[in-house]
Amino acid sequence: MIWEVFRQEKQGDYHTHCGNVHAPDREMAKQFAAIQHGRRKPTNSLWVVPKEEVGETDADDVAFGGTTDKAYRWATAYNPDVDHAEEVVESEGQQAEAEKQRGDA
Amino acid sequence: MSATLESPADLDDEEREALETLLKRLGDDEYVLAERYTEWQVKAPTLESDLALANNAQDELGHARLWYDVLEDLGYEEHELVYEREADEWRHSTLVERPFAEGDWADAVLRHYLYDVAEDIRLDALEGSSYAKIADRVGKIRSEEEYHLEHASNWVERLANGDEGAERLQDAVDRLFPHALTLFEPCAPATGAGDASGDEDVEETIVSAGFRDATLEEMREGWLSTVVPFLDDLGLETPASELVHFDEYEFDVTEDVLPDAVGRDGSHTDAWDDLREEFTHTYRELERSEATKIMDKPE
Repeated sequence: MIWEVFRQEKQGDYHTHCGNVHAPDREMAKQFAAIQHGRRKPTNSLWVVPKEEVGETDADDVAFGGTTDKAYRWATAYNPDVDHAEEVVESEGQQAEAEKQRGDA
Repeated sequence: MSATLESPADLDDEEREALETLLKRLGDDEYVLAERYTEWQVKAPTLESDLALANNAQDELGHARLWYDVLEDLGYEEHELVYEREADEWRHSTLVERPFAEGDWADAVLRHYLYDVAEDIRLDALEGSSYAKIADRVGKIRSEEEYHLEHASNWVERLANGDEGAERLQDAVDRLFPHALTLFEPCAPATGAGDASGDEDVEETIVSAGFRDATLEEMREGWLSTVVPFLDDLGLETPASELVHFDEYEFDVTEDVLPDAVGRDGSHTDAWDDLREEFTHTYRELERSEATKIMDKPE
């Protein structure tokens, strides 16, 4: 049985997929994951998830976003050059990144 | 007891000998077990179990080095301890030197379990050691040993669940249990291998000097009271089952329960000569006179 392994480096971080292990049950999967994915890098927590429990939907099933021009989302009317506008700046960053990935910029 | 002894200069001759003997018990067990574990590399049943056992082997080598490093305070050097000692100068239990039958994973797993329960009990008894360096190292070793014990028990439980696994485990119990009992046999002093008269004195000094705060008998009782019911619950019978009545685990281990060679007194099984020959081969072949070190001091 295959268990997908997700690793969290520090408390509060997201658990990020880092590989998988073969194990007969959850207990052994956790033990094997600790050796294979938690021994060399700083690790706060690991998740093991049975592979067949992972729900997947892909680009064949769904038209995902991020493919069209969303210029209207740029924060043109705000002045982001102040401390409390962190979220605006972050949102702009995401838009810029999306454009880059689309090949527009 | 708090750690008050900082260096061999704080010890009298008898205590120095006891300390040396204790450290050889500890270091030699870990070193030889690691040597055996590495035989499983690329041969364990799955990639995952392979990596887990290799990880344990690496841990045990590290622990051996921590104990040998303390022995260096008594004038030894690592290459002398590992590569230049005669076979009968080693003090490990025969449990760790026995060879594995080809592909017998149940043997590896059971040995791992029997050893790591003993290791856990032993570390308990060393945590408050009067010798500062010993007390200091227990913590680090402990965190890794917890994983070993969990790993071993998990495997034993799972193998015992199937018919073939249970049968192989029972064979391993019959074969290894007597050797496991040697974990708690007294060591001959470093200088007097084969001289049984000094054995008990050295062990007494180990406890009276506070290097370790439990006697061999106490540790054996603790070990039996864990191992016997655990295996019993899984349907595995030990030679001790007959001797245990009403949860009373304190009994004399007579010679007929022990194997001919007990390791601790310098007597070993033939398998030990072969193993030692093998891991010292390159050292001799290349005419080396020191041990290769990546780290200056083990941490």
